[in-house]
Amino acid sequence: MRKITLFLLLLGLALAASPMQDRLEQTIKSGGEKFAKDLLTRDEGQAICSQYRDKLPAVQVQGFLDKQRALIKYPADNKLIGDWKEGEKIFTAAARGNCYACHTADPKEAAAGNVGPSLTGYGARGNSDPIVKYTYEKIYNAWAYSPCSTMYRAGVHGILKPEEVANVVAFLIDPASPVNKK
Amino acid sequence: MRSSRVWLVIAALVGATLLALAQQAPSPEEEVARQKKLILEQSGILPGELYAAQGEDLFKKKRGPNNVSLEGCDFGLGAGKTEGAYAELPRYFADTNRVEDLDTRIVTCMVSLQGFKAADIKRSDVVAIAAYVASKSNGRPVKVRLDDVKEVAVYAMGKQLWYTRAGAQDFSCAVCHETNGGKRIRLQRLALVQADKVASHWPAYRFSNDQLWTMEDRIRGCYKQTRVTEPNYYSDAIIALSLYMSVAANGADVDAPGFVR
Repeated sequence: MRKITLFLLLLGLALAASPMQDRLEQTIKSGGEKFAKDLLTRDEGQAICSQYRDKLPAVQVQGFLDKQRALIKYPADNKLIGDWKEGEKIFTAAARGNCYACHTADPKEAAAGNVGPSLTGYGARGNSDPIVKYTYEKIYNAWAYSPCSTMYRAGVHGILKPEEVANVVAFLIDPASPVNKK
Repeated sequence: MRSSRVWLVIAALVGATLLALAQQAPSPEEEVARQKKLILEQSGILPGELYAAQGEDLFKKKRGPNNVSLEGCDFGLGAGKTEGAYAELPRYFADTNRVEDLDTRIVTCMVSLQGFKAADIKRSDVVAIAAYVASKSNGRPVKVRLDDVKEVAVYAMGKQLWYTRAGAQDFSCAVCHETNGGKRIRLQRLALVQADKVASHWPAYRFSNDQLWTMEDRIRGCYKQTRVTEPNYYSDAIIALSLYMSVAANGADVDAPGFVR
């Protein structure tokens, strides 16, 4: 009996959910073909974050993190620390990383945002393998560490290639980088 | 040795000056107030008011194939009644069987009353007329209700769109204007759309690009910045988001056209 009730409840939820999805799809399509394409070709991660308004149920977190981790690709030579000067260009350029929109890094850059944590002096964390790997993976796919967080997934979306992510890692970690100059 | 000491002193002086400048830099709110004062001192009128005056001309002039004014347009409180009408928009209209925002309603009347073809309507005319009609609700609290089932449904869509993460930068409206609202992108403060009840001061004049924008323009601007193609003007998608934000602004006094960065 209980099983039947549960089944009916789930069926009801499924039926209630689908007209809502249909209506949303119709609303999105009203915005035009290109708008609809951009909104309806969301990947699985975006769809889940949208559904839960960025607050994933605890039981889903591990599975989400695992799937995001599987999206990370590494440079062919597996060197996760590249050229900090190239990294600085990517970090700064609005059409590339645009990282100053949210983070402070080189203390000389006064017009940095404060949406994300400050990265000034990031190199103080050292350059051990775990730190370097974390930094690389966080930049490549922030959602592999923090589900549905604000930071966009530069590597997953192809905005930065693996070698370019490694260059940004260098900008943060290299002792010669202005990020780490006192 | 000596010259390096001189350089040190110079460097210290430059550093101190930069620090002082940084500390003196006005907050975004102060900068808006300063710009507003500056423009008022220079021209005695705010650009938003000029747009509204232009909109009043367009509104009252006999125009279009039918050669009539927009004075017979029903913005929800009855034909010809503009006082307080914007404070209750968007809303459901029986004649079009659709929830319409201010921009869309203007287009509806330009088509049905004046006989314009929708495709021929100039966006700049709609914006100016919107500035005028909105200004007729100044000082009245926003009072957008969800009485009709269509309003409830469109509101639900707006809320879903608000939280939809999409595009190459994984943004949603909520990421910037709810979760991180109040923080800065570069030096620009992100509005807390719900808590600040921002819909009450749109349409608004933006001094950063010297343009008057309605909420529709602002929504499109947000999508563009997040590298998502902008939704069409007057579409259900844009109206849904506008309705969602307007309900959040309930209770705040209309101040339109607003003056923003």
